[in-house]
Parts: sequence; C-alpha cells; structure tokens
Amino acid sequence: MAIQILSPLVVSKIAAGEVVERPASVLKELVENSLDAGANHISVEVSGGGIQLIRVIDNGSGIPEDELEIAFERHATSKITSESDIEGILSLGFRGEALPTIASVADVSMLTRYRDEVAGTSVILENGTIKNKKRQGCPQGTTVTVRNLFENVPARLKFLKSIATENSHISQLVTQYSMAFPEVKFSLLMNERITLRTPGNGDLRDALVEVYGLETAQSMLEITTNEGGVSGFISPSSVSRSNRNYLSFFVNRRWIQNRMISYATEEAYQGMLMTGKHPIVVLNIALPSGDIDVNVHPTKREIKFRNERDVFLAVQKAVRETLVGYTPIPNMRVSTPLFTSPQLTTIPMPIKENMGPSSSGTLLARESCQIETTTQLPILRLIGQLRNTYIITEGPDGMYLIDQHAAHERVLFEKIKEQQAKQSVEVQGLLEPITIDVTAQREDFLRSQGEVLSEAGFTLDRFGERTYLLRAVPAVLHRQNIPQVLAEIIDSLGELQSSDWRERIVVSLACHGAIRAGQTLNIQEMEELMHQLEETALPRTCPHGRPTMIQFSVSQLESEFGRRG
Amino acid sequence: MQVSCTQENLSRGLGIVGRAVATRTTLPITNHVLISTDNSRLRLSATNLEIAINCWIGTQVEEEGAIAIPSGLLTDFVNSLPSENIDIKVAPQTQTMEIKCAKSEARISGQKADEFPPIPRIGEGITAKVDPRALRNAISQMVFAAAVDDSRPVLTGGYAQFSGDKLILAAADGFRLAVHNLGLVAPAGEEAGVIIPARSLRELDRLLRDQADPVEITINPQRSQILFRLKDVEIVSQLIQGNFPDYNQLIPQSHTTRAVINVAEFLRAIKSASVFARDGSGILKLMITPGEGIQISARAEEVGDNEGTIDAEIEGQEAKIAFNSKYLMDIFTILEDEKVALEVTTPSSPGVFRPIGDDDWVQVVMPMFVQW
Ligand SMILES: Nc1ncnc2c1ncn2[C@@H]1O[C@H](COP(=O)(O)OP(=O)(O)OP(=O)(O)O)[C@@H](O)[C@H]1O
Ligand SMILES: [Mg+2]
Repeated sequence: MAIQILSPLVVSKIAAGEVVERPASVLKELVENSLDAGANHISVEVSGGGIQLIRVIDNGSGIPEDELEIAFERHATSKITSESDIEGILSLGFRGEALPTIASVADVSMLTRYRDEVAGTSVILENGTIKNKKRQGCPQGTTVTVRNLFENVPARLKFLKSIATENSHISQLVTQYSMAFPEVKFSLLMNERITLRTPGNGDLRDALVEVYGLETAQSMLEITTNEGGVSGFISPSSVSRSNRNYLSFFVNRRWIQNRMISYATEEAYQGMLMTGKHPIVVLNIALPSGDIDVNVHPTKREIKFRNERDVFLAVQKAVRETLVGYTPIPNMRVSTPLFTSPQLTTIPMPIKENMGPSSSGTLLARESCQIETTTQLPILRLIGQLRNTYIITEGPDGMYLIDQHAAHERVLFEKIKEQQAKQSVEVQGLLEPITIDVTAQREDFLRSQGEVLSEAGFTLDRFGERTYLLRAVPAVLHRQNIPQVLAEIIDSLGELQSSDWRERIVVSLACHGAIRAGQTLNIQEMEELMHQLEETALPRTCPHGRPTMIQFSVSQLESEFGRRG
Repeated sequence: MQVSCTQENLSRGLGIVGRAVATRTTLPITNHVLISTDNSRLRLSATNLEIAINCWIGTQVEEEGAIAIPSGLLTDFVNSLPSENIDIKVAPQTQTMEIKCAKSEARISGQKADEFPPIPRIGEGITAKVDPRALRNAISQMVFAAAVDDSRPVLTGGYAQFSGDKLILAAADGFRLAVHNLGLVAPAGEEAGVIIPARSLRELDRLLRDQADPVEITINPQRSQILFRLKDVEIVSQLIQGNFPDYNQLIPQSHTTRAVINVAEFLRAIKSASVFARDGSGILKLMITPGEGIQISARAEEVGDNEGTIDAEIEGQEAKIAFNSKYLMDIFTILEDEKVALEVTTPSSPGVFRPIGDDDWVQVVMPMFVQW
C-alpha cells in the first residue's frame, strides 16, 4: 500500500497525542517502523542517552522515492486507509504520526532504498520539512538518523532523567523487541559499545541467552500449553528477581503494559516464590486483531481486550500449568569426583500430570479459574533418614532425597492457606498471656494493622504503652519462641506492601512451624510426612521456591558405578 | 592400672554412663568415658557438662589407676566381645588401654585422666529419700509438659519443690501445666524449690527402671546441682537458675461442668480421632452433654470427620471445649488411673484433668479456639 494521508475522519478516530516523550519513545517508533517494513536485521546506535544520536538501520522494504516526502507528513501511513482498518490492525504502526512528530523535535535524516528500486534516496529534514533530497546508492532498507533531540523543546529536555536512565530505557526497548521478534537479528551499539546482539535465528530461547544469560535462559520453562494463544517462556520457581522489571508481555508481538496480565501471571506463581520476589516472564498472546483495540493510547503500549476475563484466565492457566507441569525434581548430576565437584542441576524431567482437584491457590485463583492440575510425586518407598535432615527414598527412577524441613514447610503452607481461606485458622490459647514489649515502630504497626495478625491467629490485647498481652497463637507455633517469631513477622511485614502481608505471614508460620533439619524422625513420622507431601498441590517446592526433593536417577547411579557407559 | 571384670558388667556400665557422653561437642574430651579404680571397684564416669553419671562395677583391681577413653570406640568393642572375663591394662607412659578378652585383643589410646572435666561431688546439702517407682511415675506424668523452646529457660525444666515429707513436681510450657505430688520416704531437712532440666529428668527416669531401693536426693548448698544416688549409680545434674512461675494460680479453682471419664475408653476415642487429625496436632472437639456423654470429633480438612461418643458421669451444665489432640495423648497415654475427672468452664478457659478421690496430680490444658 502506498503512503497516503488519512482522511480527517479517520484521523479523528485515532488516539492522538504526543508520541515522543523521551529518547526511548523515538527509538520505539523507529524500531516498530523497521519491523513493519519486514526487516530481519535491525541495528540500533545511540549516544548521549539518545539525545545526541539515535540511528536505526534496517534491511526492510525501504520507502519508494516518490513516497518519501509524504512519509513525513502528518497522518501519512501506508498501513491503514479506512476507519474499519483500525479494528483489524496487524502492523505495529497505524497513525502516520511518528515520523513527522520526531522530525518536529529533532534533526532527522533518512537514507532508504525501496526493494524495487535500483538506487536509494537520502533526505535531510529541517524543522520537519525536507530540505535536501538526493539519489544515493545504498543497500535495500532504511537508515534513520535522529540528532539533537528536543533541542528546540527545552521544556521536554528539562524533564529527561539522567543519561544513564535514558540509556536503560533504550536498552530495555531493544531488549523487549528482540524477545518479541526472535527471528530478527538485533544489535545495540551504545556509546560505541555493543551492549546487545541477538542471533535472529527464530529461537526465543537463544534470544533469552543474550538477554538474561545462559544459565537463566536454560532454566526458563517454555509454555507449550497452547492455551488462548499464549506462548513464551517463564522462570521456574527456583529462579526469581526482586522487582517486576523482568515481566515482558506482548500482544500480537506488540510490547504492551497491562496490569491485568501481570497480575494473572503473578497469581499463577502464588506460593511458589517468596514474598517480594517476582518471576522472569516473556509472554506473547496471539489474538485475532478483532479481539483487541490498540488504539487507546498514543504510545500504543496499552491495549483493550474485547474479552479481558478470557485473557486473564488463559494467561493464568498457561503459566500455572507450565509451572506445575515442569517443576522438576532436580536431578543430582554427580560428575566424576576426581575432576569436578558435584553440582546441583535442575534438569526438567518428564512428569506425568494428573488431573484432579487442586487444593492450593488463593481464593481468587480458585474461583476465577478452575486450574485443575496437580502433579503427583512418584511413588516413593521409605529407606531412612540421613543426617536427621533428609529422608532417603526409592522411587521409580532411582533415589530421591527429601528435605524434611522444606517438605513439611510445603505441607504446612498449604494447610494454613486452606484454613485461612475457610476462615478456620487453628488457634491455640495460652495458659498465661505472654507480655510483649514492642518498639514504637512495631506498636504503630500493631495499632493500625493488627488485624492482619489476628486473622492469622495471634490474639493480642493492648495492655499499656508499648505493651501487649498475647493470649493465643496460631496452633502451628506450639514449639517455638513465640515472641521472637511474632517480632520477626511484624518487622518483615513493614518492608512489604500490604497486599503481600497475608502470604508473608503464612510463609513465616509454615517455616517456623515445620520440623527442623537435625530433628530425628521415626518411621511413622517420615511416612506421614511423605504422605502429606503427596497430598499437596505443589509437592516439589517449598514456599520459598527451593526444591523439596532431589533425584539420583538409576542411570546416573549406574554410570557412577561404572556399570554402564 | 590393671583390672579385670566381666564383659556383662562393663558393657552394662558403659551403657549407663553412655547417656551422659556428649555427642556433638566443642570439648572433645567430653565424648570420652573416664575409667578409674575406686577401692575394689571400677568407676565409669561421663559428663556432657549438664549431666554427669557415675557407675560402679565389681572388678578385681591388681593395680590402681585412671584413664579417659573415647566412649563410642570402647563401648562398641566391649559389646562385640563374648561374655567372658576382660583384662584391662593401662600403661601410664603411653595412655593406651589394652583390652583382652578370650581371643580378642585391642589397644585404644586415650587421654590423661586429669584432663577429664571434674565430676561434681556433692557431699552435703539438703537431702531426702524417695521411692523409685513413685518418682518414675511422677516424672512420666509431668515431664512432657516442659517447654521445648528456650525462650523462657525456666520452663524447659521440671520444678521440684521439697517441703517436709512431700515432693511436688511441676512442668509447664505456656499451653499446659502438669503437677504431680508424691510422698518422701525420708523428709527433706529444709524447704527447697529447684528447677531440673527436662533431659536430666528423662535420664533419671530411665535409670530408675531397675531400681528397688529408695533413691537418695541431695541438693548442694549453693542450689546449683542435684544428685540422685541409686544403687551403684549416681547422676548429678546442673539446676536451671531462675524463678519458676507460680503455677498454683494457673489451676482454675472452680468449674461449671465436671465429667468423670473412663481413661481407657477416652484414650481409645482420642486415638481414633487423632488418626484423622493426621500429624497429631489436630483439633479434638469435645461436646459434653449431661445425661448423654462426651462426643469427640476431629475435623481434619481432607480426611473426613470422625465422631465418637463415650459415656461419662456428667455434673453441671452442657459444655464444649476443643483441645490439641497431642496434649490429650500426652496425658492419657501415661495415666494409670482407671477414671479421671475433666473440669470445664468455658470454651476459652483451661480444661482441668484430675484424679478421682485424691489430689496426687492435676493436668491443666489450654483449649484451642475454634468455631463451633
Ligand atoms: N523503516 C521504514 N521502512 C519502510 N517504510 C517506512 C519505514 N519507516 C517509515 N516507513 C513508512 O513511512 C510511513 C510513516 O511512518 P510513521 O511511523 O510516521 O507512521 P506509521 O508507522 O504508519 O504509524 P505510527 O505513527 O503509528 O507509527 C509508514 O507508514 C511507512 O510506510
Ligand atoms: Mg510508525
């Protein structure tokens, strides 16, 4: 389709507004144009935080010589023509606004050769209009150079953050698109240093190696559920980050921001990550263009779903199932002792999935989304206890060591959660109230937020200035130093958002209530623990995300003993 | 040193003192056992610095002497020997023990006896005597209530109060209280209240198993150690310093419901309900209805409900109370009474178990708060 100016009617339907607010948004427009042009090789070059220079070189279709002028006109696009096209947008761009807007706030030049033309054309713009246009030889594709950004808009310039901040936005942008388009070879040259280069071989995991490093990329779990168009990779429960910057979401490969999707994803990790920890997620949702509306926000990063709930459930289910299905029993890879020390690796092993009711998950997860996947443990036969810490068992493929504390933590975690959901928390009264003296800070917390503790089973009565009487405690704590556990819980909550408190308390209670490493267990107790672990929804990890068991497979044992190659 | 004794005696003696040998220790000598001649007997001693045990065995002493030998090594070797006579010889120059028995022979190198920590000797102090069976019975009925965590060290022990010809043993862990009274065979010369570590009480209980003669108890004048003198065995324990809480005020003085229950029947009911309470810490709900009995139910989430009703002679009002099944099991598995009384006031005030007819003991258990 040739580039043409949209009719005013169509223009009025387009979410208008300032497209470029910072260097990274300029880059975003340019990269999206390159992707729309079908490039499979995109090089980005920036210096001075993108204010001095942004250059994008692609090998896409290029722009025909006679359409070059119009490309820099407002509302000139080759991507849609009529109003109805807006509803079926498949390209990343559609407003015909990016190039003119950028040209109005920076010095722009472009060199392009259209695929059907023998020579290229170069243009230099000044204040948004083409000043110099000439034929010039060049390979097929387009190079856009943007210099002195916002020089004529001092107000914008003032609002920019440090160069480092702008740089980080820039590399995030390139990173995100390199994950959305693994078949495109991306490179980012920042202040003359290569900071990212992806292979562009179409394999997302290979792109992830460049983005997150080999180890993390290898640990990532691929979503293969093919549910609601959701695909991508998610981190296993053993890998996490302490902020949400590692959540990447794309809809039809458009990088988007959407709280609902983030929420659905993190919901699916409930009980698998420690509070305050977040997963690494790269998710694309492929939807018929009619099911989404991209035309909501000028930056095109927000999106409306025709059926938000379906998307929520699809994302949650895909993530949860992948997580549950893959959460491996880590395999103990024992290398030949003479050469290297044994190391723990997590090799996913195929596990049979069992469809049955799940007892885990929050109320929300349960009500809104019938995730009915539980993963059974292999059938295990008890052999004994090692160092009063590990339970040795034999399973269908070798030896399985269970960490008694981690296993019991998982059991208690699910039990307490369930009790809380049913509002039937087990509370044990104290024969004599324990006097608790609190710091001013803890007192503030107790006065304003004490509710969350009483829901968990702590009955606290204010007794005087900074003094409380503890009259009852959650029943799991019957063998612990209760004042200390309580102080720890209060302090840890202070660091978290209130939405994370409940979960945090349950994790603490499970951890403190669980049998310790070093505790001798008799056969009945070990069997009971194994039995209870089997009944949990997520038997393979403790609530902190550590494994509850590791496996030494028969073949590993055989090769270690030299019985088989 | 040169002695000879029977394999049985040495093996039994090592087994007795072995309980006081330190297992994980930063002071390696405490995993040794001290072997020394004491007149015409051989004395074996071990200490983990909290408890010390001395045991005397009959020996033929050729030459006096003493040595400290790694306990595990010696015990394993002696236990592997046939039940014949053992000849032991220690050459003072080498600190090596030579053991010969039948065709077996071993040398185990040890440490100088004077490197062994001093075993406390208690000569004088407050003394009393008690019947070993009564003492065992009392210990087993209270020691389980001692606290496991050491946030309040005084609660990790059992309180022993001597007054006149009475000894009261009490333990409490914040959720329950167990008190047992027993008579002394020879009264204490002075009033005294001391706190004995629960572990020491358990070891004492074990050693009392095959005792018939009265046990002599001595508390040193500083009230820092207590000695129990059994036949051929002495156990000395450090005492926990501090004040034991006034437990009498924790025992409710009144009640609104009293149920007399058959111990065996009640135990059967709580046991079968506890199966449903899975990890043994589940809730047992008791509904006490005058004229009908006590309905016991356990609600363990996935497992299903279990309900049973047992007969009881009930006085007073209808009542309900819920307990941690573990606490009830602790009490009812050791009771020797045929019937006991359960006294209850409200679902949130302590339940009290007492014997019928006397007041030898009392068990106070704080309930769990549940929705009825
Ligand atoms: N790198 C490129 N390769 C080929 N064609 C390009 C390139 N960049 C821009 N164009 C052409 O120029 C037109 C205008 O680009 P511009 O970015 O201003 O608008 P758009 O991409 O259509 O919409 P939006 O404003 O949503 O980005 C595009 O429609 C496209 O035809
Ligand atoms: Mg564009």
